[in-house]
Amino acid sequence: MRKHPGVLIFVLALCLGWAGMALAQNEIQLSIPLPLTGQQAKFGEIEQKAYMIAVEEINAKGGIKKKKLVLNFEDSQGKPEIARSIAEKLIDVNKQPIVFGEYSSSCSKAVAAVAEERKIPYVVVTGAADDITQQKYKYVYRICPSNAYYAVGLMSFLNEVVKPKSVAILYESSDFGTSGADDMEKQAAKAGMKVLLKEKYEKGAVDFKPVLSQVKAANPDVIYMVSYVMDAALLMRQIKELRIDSKLFAGGAAGFDIPEFVGNAKEAAEYVVTATLWSPQVSYPGAKDFAEKYKAKHGSYPSYHGAEAYAMTYLLKDVLERSASMKPADINKALKATKLMTAFGPIQFQDKDGFQNQNFMETLVRQVIKGEHQTIWPKKIASAGYLYPIPRWRDRK
Amino acid sequence: MWVQAEVFLQTLVSGLLLGGLYALIGIGMTLILGVMKIINLTHGQLMMVAMYLAFWLFTLFGIDPYLSLLIVPPLMFAFGMGIQKFLVNPVLRVESILPHNQVILTVGIGMVLQNLATLFFTSDYRSIPVGYASTVWYLTDLWRDSPVELSFSLPWVVSFMLAVVITLMLWFFLAKTDTGKSIRATAQDRDAAMLMGVHVGWMRVITFGLGSALVAAAGCLFIPIYYLFPALGSQFTLIAFVITILGGLGSTIGAILGGLLLGVFESMTATYVGMGWAPAGRFVVFVAALVFLPGGVASLLKRRKLGK
Repeated sequence: MRKHPGVLIFVLALCLGWAGMALAQNEIQLSIPLPLTGQQAKFGEIEQKAYMIAVEEINAKGGIKKKKLVLNFEDSQGKPEIARSIAEKLIDVNKQPIVFGEYSSSCSKAVAAVAEERKIPYVVVTGAADDITQQKYKYVYRICPSNAYYAVGLMSFLNEVVKPKSVAILYESSDFGTSGADDMEKQAAKAGMKVLLKEKYEKGAVDFKPVLSQVKAANPDVIYMVSYVMDAALLMRQIKELRIDSKLFAGGAAGFDIPEFVGNAKEAAEYVVTATLWSPQVSYPGAKDFAEKYKAKHGSYPSYHGAEAYAMTYLLKDVLERSASMKPADINKALKATKLMTAFGPIQFQDKDGFQNQNFMETLVRQVIKGEHQTIWPKKIASAGYLYPIPRWRDRK
Repeated sequence: MWVQAEVFLQTLVSGLLLGGLYALIGIGMTLILGVMKIINLTHGQLMMVAMYLAFWLFTLFGIDPYLSLLIVPPLMFAFGMGIQKFLVNPVLRVESILPHNQVILTVGIGMVLQNLATLFFTSDYRSIPVGYASTVWYLTDLWRDSPVELSFSLPWVVSFMLAVVITLMLWFFLAKTDTGKSIRATAQDRDAAMLMGVHVGWMRVITFGLGSALVAAAGCLFIPIYYLFPALGSQFTLIAFVITILGGLGSTIGAILGGLLLGVFESMTATYVGMGWAPAGRFVVFVAALVFLPGGVASLLKRRKLGK
């Protein structure tokens, strides 16, 4: 008697299995590695939600080549070795002809290596480390701009509007902060700006006034800061305290780009600009719809990670429709020829500046205007005019 | 030249303001160390708990963090007494191969507190958006012809002042009241105090409560100028530890001086060496104090007194 439930479940499972296989004829089943637990889970979750919104939309409009798209998710915990074994499983066991996804650079790198070895096309969605698309890989593509291009939009804003002669760089002593500061230093040299000061700090610092009073003495035209979360707000508050009147205060995404920044820095956040990849206000087709839909469903606007995942799903649809067959080689050919406009921006894979199959796009600049982040650059997709020059602290109310 | 003077003075002001707050964190630990002879390695985590209390008092009832100085430290006093009575005291009685398993216990309590905070409040960063957070006084506003411009942030100055007031109150308590004297007696010589009729076990409980209340007060003073997340505690445990060593184990005056010294030292390092070096500098002070000044600042004070 005791064995009955087990047998029943087994039979049921078999039936379901057959049913599943029958259905599979009319389905495209794909799995995505994502960090759904662990430290990066928050971002994995944002991406997962964005994928699901896109899948619903696509299936509501008849799916891909009249087949229903089904996406499954595999938890990589943000660990490269797990991401690698997931990629191996997807390719060797599931015989998936295309792989995409993952969040961090290190995990994306691990998957890319497997995909290239097996000659299966892989699309990197959010991993930004430069070297992923610098390996002369033939099967690895990337949607998001690489780290070195994050601040391109900000630089063009600086060069065309502010025209600064000198810059001070403050950054957090992490991978992210260091690479951001190093890139800025290179770009500043290219643009003919003098780097007066390049100072790092340990995250979690309480008092920035000592280093800021040095910045004040150096009197740079622009202060560029790369900080996570709350340091950004503390920095701006203390800059206001010391009345450092630079021509512009600029942040390198992250801590300067989140709503908490304005909430915590309050009026000190006003006029601060920050580099970013995407915002819910951009005028790309579908961007607003996606942002509103996401907000209605999950309560807040998605970060650029969500937009990248959303765009990825549409890229998948586009590629599979153009591809001659479901064979990896054909899909690879189709990927190479991509020219698609998405909610995240235009996608086109190019070989240039030492990168292969990299999507180059304009990054944006946002400015805090009346307590809200507004997209101000590039002008053609701006949601508000930029405010420059900014008033001196003494004259602000 | 004035520019350099301005940098130096501003650094000094920042260092002293920061040092005052550091001192308040350090005193609590030093007090517990003096009476209990153990390092309380959950000190920073207690501060974190206090900060969350202040945060919720503000969010739910709109109570200003400075006002919650009247609510949070008493709560934490009770909480600290509870820890001592129900967790540390039973461990004291147990014979074990490790001589200091109470210290290990405090580490464990800290971990539990931190993980509970993550569980209940998530690891989001929070802050209290008080209206005066970026209100500042400027020297040039007070004295028009001043050659240098110094700024004094309102919450920093108020926090510093309150830290001084609390420290004075503590001094009064320890020097003038019966209970305070008993605590000092216990710290100086436990057996003698016991023979003189001091209820040593009770003093321990009170001391742990007092230490917790002091660091809770520091938490309330920190919230308007800083922010809050569950893992914030360990950083401040470390700072308190360095101050305690620097000040001389168990000496209250030493902890005050140690806190001020550390604050000024950190600020000076940040200005003249590099801000990334400030945490490293902290440990240089720590090791230097252990090697060259094993009794801490307190031993210097004592030596001078004896010399006279």
